[in-house]
Amino acid sequence: MQDWSKLKLGIVVALVTLGGTVLAGIASVAGVVLTGTEEFCSTACHSMNIPAAEFKDTIHDTNRTGVRATCADCHIPHHSVVAMLVTKTKAGIKDIYGEMTGVIDTKEKYEKERYGMAVQVWTVMKQTDSRECRHCHTATKMNPENQSETARKKHEALKSGGMTCIDCHFGIAHSEPDGPGPQELKVAK
Amino acid sequence: MKTTLKIIVAGVFACAVPLGMVHAADDAAAAAEIKKSGCLTCHSVSAKKDGPSFKSIAEKHKGKADGADLVKTQITASKEHKQHLKTKDEAQVKNVVEYILSR
Repeated sequence: MQDWSKLKLGIVVALVTLGGTVLAGIASVAGVVLTGTEEFCSTACHSMNIPAAEFKDTIHDTNRTGVRATCADCHIPHHSVVAMLVTKTKAGIKDIYGEMTGVIDTKEKYEKERYGMAVQVWTVMKQTDSRECRHCHTATKMNPENQSETARKKHEALKSGGMTCIDCHFGIAHSEPDGPGPQELKVAK
Repeated sequence: MKTTLKIIVAGVFACAVPLGMVHAADDAAAAAEIKKSGCLTCHSVSAKKDGPSFKSIAEKHKGKADGADLVKTQITASKEHKQHLKTKDEAQVKNVVEYILSR
């Protein structure tokens, strides 16, 4: 009789642990997904109201086809789950600390930091050959017939590797800061 | 005498306020026309993009008498610089030229 009780206890403990692990796993995945939504990014932190408002009515927000790219599409890597989780963890910790200490909690502070924040993002994009842009935009699949003559000529530069998307296509989702742009940035690759 | 002088000085400064606001409104109108005409596809105010920044254009034409005319031709009639301002209104064109040259 004693043996059965121990076995039953063992089974219950194992099932509870398994159930708890499964629930924790589901909660983690839900957390990762929910913290990558446009709604979360633009409203969870007060300071993000500013870039969210600037994003409104830009080409990635609203366009002919209604196909959109929102916060996580451009700012979080998609090429590997590990890279995605590492970026979210690092940024999340930094951003929560920043929000709690009010680094950009007023319009004036935000404007003061705008250039530095832009350079952070441009640097990553230059180091990765605009990897997040190329998650949706495949240069070899761009139909030249649907592009203006100017665009067609300029995109030729992509083939030689001399330029990357962000070199010209900056300030398109958020207001452009004052100062040198991606082409003038010295970036260690 | 002193009070009169103070009033006059205050009046002069008071006039400067609406003048300053008018200038700001011109900047906003110029920026809107520039955006509407698609200039920002190739130009940025201070960063190098496809074309030179407005700051570098202003620097290039600083102190030159023909600067305004050169810029105006470029953005309204040039065959090389095929992209032109959408507006044909002389005053608005002049405003945009002034905006660029004052960056």
